[in-house]
This record gives sequence, C-alpha cells and structure tokens, in this order.
Amino acid sequence: MNTVAQQSISADNLAKQSSAHGAVLERLRGMLPAASVITDAAGLRPYETDGLTAIREMPWVVVLPETEAQVAEIVRCCAEHGVPIIPRGAGTGLSGGARPHQKGVVLGLSKMSAILEIDPENRIAKVQAGVRNLAITQAAQTHGLYYAPDPSSQIACSIGGNVAENAGGVHCLKYGLTVNNVLGARVVMASGEIVELGGVLYDNPGPDLLALICGSEGMLGIVTQVTVALLPEPETKAVLLAAFCEVVQAGNAVAAIISAGIIPAGMEMMDKMAVQAAEAFAKAGYPLDAEAILIIELDGAAAELATLNTQVTDILRAYGAYQVDEAHDATQQARLWKGRKSAFPAIGRLSPDYLCMDGTIPRKALPKVLTEIDTISQTFGLAVANVFHAADGNLHPLVLFDANVPGQTDHAMAMGAKILEACVAAGGTVTGEHGVGVEKLDTMCVQFSSEELQQFFRLKAAVDPTDLLNPGKGIPTLTRCGELGGMHVHKGRLPFPELERF
Amino acid sequence: MSADYSAGFIEQIRAAAAHQQRLQIKGHGSKAEWLPLASGDDVVELSSHNGILQYEPEELVLTARSGTSLADIDAVLAERQQMIACEPPQLLPGNVSQVNGNDALGSGTLGGAVACGLSGPGRPWLGAIRDAVLGVELINGEGEYLKFGGQVMKNVAGYDVSRLQAGAWGALGIMSVISLRVQPCFALERTLSAEMSAPRALALCATLGVRNLPITGTAWIEGQLHLRLAGNDSGVAAACVALAEFGLQVNADDEDLWRLLKNQNHGFFQKAAQRQSGAAKLWRLVTPPAAAMPNFLSDPNSDALVLWAGGLRWIYHDDAQAVADYCRQVGGWYWAIGEAMPIDPMQQQIMAHLAKAFDPHGVFASPLNLNAAAGEA
Repeated sequence: MNTVAQQSISADNLAKQSSAHGAVLERLRGMLPAASVITDAAGLRPYETDGLTAIREMPWVVVLPETEAQVAEIVRCCAEHGVPIIPRGAGTGLSGGARPHQKGVVLGLSKMSAILEIDPENRIAKVQAGVRNLAITQAAQTHGLYYAPDPSSQIACSIGGNVAENAGGVHCLKYGLTVNNVLGARVVMASGEIVELGGVLYDNPGPDLLALICGSEGMLGIVTQVTVALLPEPETKAVLLAAFCEVVQAGNAVAAIISAGIIPAGMEMMDKMAVQAAEAFAKAGYPLDAEAILIIELDGAAAELATLNTQVTDILRAYGAYQVDEAHDATQQARLWKGRKSAFPAIGRLSPDYLCMDGTIPRKALPKVLTEIDTISQTFGLAVANVFHAADGNLHPLVLFDANVPGQTDHAMAMGAKILEACVAAGGTVTGEHGVGVEKLDTMCVQFSSEELQQFFRLKAAVDPTDLLNPGKGIPTLTRCGELGGMHVHKGRLPFPELERF
Repeated sequence: MSADYSAGFIEQIRAAAAHQQRLQIKGHGSKAEWLPLASGDDVVELSSHNGILQYEPEELVLTARSGTSLADIDAVLAERQQMIACEPPQLLPGNVSQVNGNDALGSGTLGGAVACGLSGPGRPWLGAIRDAVLGVELINGEGEYLKFGGQVMKNVAGYDVSRLQAGAWGALGIMSVISLRVQPCFALERTLSAEMSAPRALALCATLGVRNLPITGTAWIEGQLHLRLAGNDSGVAAACVALAEFGLQVNADDEDLWRLLKNQNHGFFQKAAQRQSGAAKLWRLVTPPAAAMPNFLSDPNSDALVLWAGGLRWIYHDDAQAVADYCRQVGGWYWAIGEAMPIDPMQQQIMAHLAKAFDPHGVFASPLNLNAAAGEA
C-alpha cells in the first residue's frame, strides 16, 4: 500500500474541538514531564506504524510514562473521558497491533525499562514491561541463566510486547512460547486498578488469567511488569545443515526425528527461493541446488549431545538428505543461523516489498499446503518464498510484490489471505506468533464462528466494558465478517472472480 | 466404546438456564473432596462422554473427549513411548470399572485434569497442565458449542480461552473435547537420593537449578532429598557422576516414588485419613522455590513434603493463621485440602466477570463459587 499517511488531527486542534480531549491533554501534561507528552507531528511520526509498515495512522497524542502509577493515572484519565488507549512496547509487532487511533492516546512503555531483579536462587527475572527481550538474557548471563523465547526481533522487542503477542521464536518446540515462560505479571486494568497475576510461583488458584493476558494484544490490560522463568544455559550446542532434493523428504525427516523421541532446540526449513535469497545475502554456505534445507539445533549436556547428534544425522541421511554438515565451532554455527535469520531482509533485496504470513499447520500437512501455496502464487502471479519453523508447524510464506505498482498491495494482501485460508483448511490457524492486530481481522472470520467471536467480545467486555484498550484490534466484528460473507455470495463483484473461494 | 454426549449436555444446559437451575459438572469424581462442592439441581456426567478422537505421535498431539480416563490416555501414549509431560495426578486406582455401561479405567478424567489445573512432580521442568493444552471445545452457559485454540502449538488467533480453562473448575463451561500437546518419554530415568535437612535440600536445589542437569523432579521427604534425572543414557550417566559430589547416590529402591507422589498414593498422603480425628489439616502451599521452610513445623521430617525444587510444599498443621502468615510473608498461596481455595479479591472479581461472560445465567455450579462473587461485584 502506498502509505497515504492520514491527515493527522493535531492534538491542539482536537483539544479545541472536543472538550474531552482538551481535558485529557491538560491532565496528561500535568502528570508527566513535558517531553513525555508528544503532540507535534515530527514527534508523533515514529509512532504512526509498528512493524506492519503498510498500515499507518497518526496518533493524537503519545505518552511515555515512567512508572506504573503514571500508567494507572493515564488509564483512569482516559477512561473518564472515553479516549481510547493504544498500548505500545517497542513497536516491532508485525500485525498492526499497535496501530494508533487518530483520536486516541498511544501509551508507550519504552521508558519503563528497568530490570528490577535477577534472582538465581528462584531462577527468575523481574523486569518492567519496556525491557528488551535480549536484555533479560544479557543480565542473567552472569549467573549462567537465560530467557528462552527468542523472537527474531529480540534485540529490539520488549517483554511487555512479547506478553501481549505471546511471542515465539525459533526454539518453541523445546522451550515453549512466552506463555510457557512467564510466571507473573502486573497489569493495569481498564478501570485503572492494578492486578498482580502469578508471582514467583508454579501455579495459581482459579482460571488461568496469566495465560489469558498472554497474546491478548493489549486489549485486556496493560502489562507493566513481568516475572519470567530463567533456564540454565545449555552446556553445548550443535547445529546441523541438511539439504534435500524434495521438500517432502525434508518434511518426512522432521516427522521422523520427532517420532524417534527427539525434541531439537530448533528445526527450521527453507525452500529453494528462500535459500537462494539468503545465500546471496548472508553467504552462509547453503547449497544452492537444494529444493529444501533444514537447519537443526540440538542442545544439552555434552554427554547427551554426542549420542543425539549421531542419531539425528542418521535419520536425516535415511530420509534422503544428500548433504549433512555439522558446524564445528561457534563461528560456523552462527554462520548457519545467519542465513536463516537474515532470510527476511534477503527476500527484501529480491523484491521491493514483501508480506510476511504467519499461519501454523500440522506438520504433516506441509507438502499439501506448500503445493497449494504454489498454486495460489501462480494464480495471483506473485512469487512466494517459504520459511518454516518446521519443529512447531509455523509457516512464514513471504509474498513478494511491488507497492509502487497500483493495486499490487491489495492483490498481495488478498493472496496472503488465501494462503491463511489454506492453513485453516489444513487444520491450522491464521496466526502462530505474530498476532491478529488489524492485519488478520478478515481471516479471523474464516477461523471462528459468529458464536465464538461473540464469546470473545463478551470476554473483552467483562474486563473492559467501555472498549477503552486497543479498540478495533484482534477480533473482527460480526458486521465485518458478514460483509466478507456477502462478498463470497456476490461473486460477480469480486476483484478476482476467477478464483475459487472457500 | 466411546460416545459423544455433547448434544445432551447442550439440552441439559438450555433447560437449566430456562429454569434457573444449577448444574454440577462431574467426571470421575476423583477430586470431589478437594473443594466443598457447590450444590446443584442436576449433575452433568462427563465420564461416558469419552474416547480418543485423534492421536498422531509425530505431531505430538492427542485429542480426546473430556470424559476420557487419564489411564486410558496413558496406555495409548505409552504404546508409542509418549506421555503427558506434566503428569496430571490420577487420584483413583484406575481399575476397570463400568461407567454408564462402558468399560473405562476410572482414574480421573482428562477434563478434570485440565479443569483442576493440577500438575505432577515435574512441573518446573516439564511444564504445567495449562502448558500442555492446545485447544478446547467448550459448551458455554448459553449451550453454545465453541472451539478455541486447535491442534497446533503456536496459535495466537483470539484470546487464549483454552488455557483459561485450566484451574477454572468448570466455572466457564463444559469442556467437551481437549487437544493436548504430548511429549516423547525419556529413554532413561534414574532417582538419586541423599539424607539431608529440608533447608539443606532447598539450598542444594537452588544450586543445582542454575546448572545444566537433566533434572525432572525433586522431592524432600522424611529427611531425604530425591532427585529424578531423565534423558538419554549417556546424559543421565554423566549427571549421576556429577551429582555424586553432593552425596547423591543412585537409589534403585525408589522406582515407584514419583508415581506414588504424583497420584498421592505415597504414605505421606495416607496420613490425612489417619489424622482426620486430629486438628492438623493437610495444606498445599505454593511458594517461591527458594523460600525458607516454615518455622512452625515441630517435626518437618514427618509433616512436610517438598516438591518442585521447593515450589510446592505439602504440610500437616493445625494453625491456619500461622500458615496464612507464612504464605503472605514469602509471597505464596495456601489451600487447605477440602476447604475453599482463597483467591485474591481483585483477581476473584475479574474471574467473576469472566464467569458471567461465559455463563450469564449462572448455570454452572463450580466449586470456585465465582457466581456468588459476581453478585457482590
């Protein structure tokens, strides 16, 4: 989308027009230092989008509180005047979950970046919401501990944002997602009340509110502080690269490894286009003739790993890998990973723009879904490169397009939606780790019935009755889904009437 | 024989809603004495609503009706060397019994395991039951059949209603079908033991916690610390050698220890019955793992069982105030088995609003009694 930035309503203009906004602005300026209430266009500009840059909107005001008490006061103030709040961590989210509201307040948590406690005896870290993911591991390292979930944006993304999105990464099969690694959170509710969920505790009484907050995209409460579990650093690591002549072989090898009772720390698959792009970009030493490669990371105690390594290599060979390389030192390991980790920017060099999809499918459905993606790609005339968290079934097809060609952004988005529909049809889901945000509202209609969507709305209303927090995100309205349903009926008016829709 | 009784449940719920009646949800009843049951006008019997619907070992996912016996699930998983990692307790013996005319291993149901949110001795290392839940098909208080989550482990579409059910004790609806993530069994398990005091055991657990060791369970009981190691042969063997310096020796006599602890068949729990005449209650304390032992126990060797590297402490004690004070001081929570579970009032209010969102007519008579709290809110 050629991002036609919405004409921003300047804060002072809006304040003049609306007495509610005027009152809110006055109170915000009273409670926060001048530099922490941003209203000028230049200052607001960085907040008009998150990691989903195709969708932009200028916020009315951005506030950057430094304490939980300030967050609560901002929430109470906005609640009293009915001004929506859009919570924001580091703004690296990929689904537009932090897209601003032109009459709303963006509540940025970046100034709440203190690591409050690293407690090796209890193997936990207590940190404020704005602390970067990687900073937790860096602070824990002196004790031989680390924080396991490692979303690709871990240098920049914040733990509060990780909780809001239930962020994943490349090590989820063995170590879980954010929800599996968080023990406690302090949350400012829409009422401005502060609730402490969990603690340094392995379970809690009653329905699991902590699990509910994880992945709720800032719509149920604003996380101000998080207690995460830390793990001992693995003693050793091994990284293997396996090359296959067919994607199906690689998929079968993944299933065979898991069937043998082995849970690798990471298991990533890339298809030919992704491999070629990554190799050109990162010189990782990937075989350019492979139809698919697997990158497998094993970790654990040295004694354990020696046996595992042989076992996995044997399976890879038995399932048709024509080349299996092991990285012999940390430098080589990093090089093998670098190719995978730079796959997105590498694709970015091939194509002016790309759209990253985030479906999850049962692993066994991979060959079928890849074939379908290929068909969809041919129908739409846009290329796709596939990067796959093979261990946990999370597929990232990258749709290549050029936003400068009129209509191509919408075309790419329509194609992405088709791919997600294929994931749902295969028994999967429209988003594995990036969240719904605004990007996947339409595809949510494919996955959930109107009763299920209504239950989501009742759940939201139970904790945020005035729809104050991040309104319009995450869950599509029935009207929206109804209009989409209508689109299916009136086929003649569709932009691509030749396409089958299901 | 397995069967789908969900249509009947929907009827039952609608009828109850229409007549302002309350329904008790019952599986095998294995935890019936853990909380005071809320009175109901009728019972929803889940045990006949059983059967494994899908099990694909290479996908590490099992989907079953909520009334399925945990023992039946274990048996099916064991054939493929897999397990439910968090080891949900099976409090009944699991003998073949007739449940509504069908043979079933009545050891506790899958639905009960999720609803009660209880996890086995490996919780800190292998996860909790909520970590294993991937998806739930739920019948809410309107009698609507709803599907949340799914069969894949990475899934952030919509609010996580599936995991919210863990610990809800049925307050939000009847779980009809549950998908669980399962895990390969370990090739080898070994138990190491050494005599030591509880404070020494807690300190040792904290020391070992930052090391890379294949620990999957700890138990301090009767003056002894037991460690469970699990992994492949070479990894476990190396860890046994490394742990010898702490006086921990392979203990071949205690093969059954972990199963007894998990299912509460261990002698420690049997004392509850013997003590019923006395004043000492059985308390379940969840605390920060490294928190000091309570100083009010006159004989910890006989009155305390410490699991989860210190994170879970079962004690017998008669002074409720002392227990409450201790938990407040260390930042933990307590529950006297057989009595209501104390929930922080602020959280309870949120839970009550949620319960109302799922069950607007107050049909489900959950032992958490959230409906009552909603009335006050």
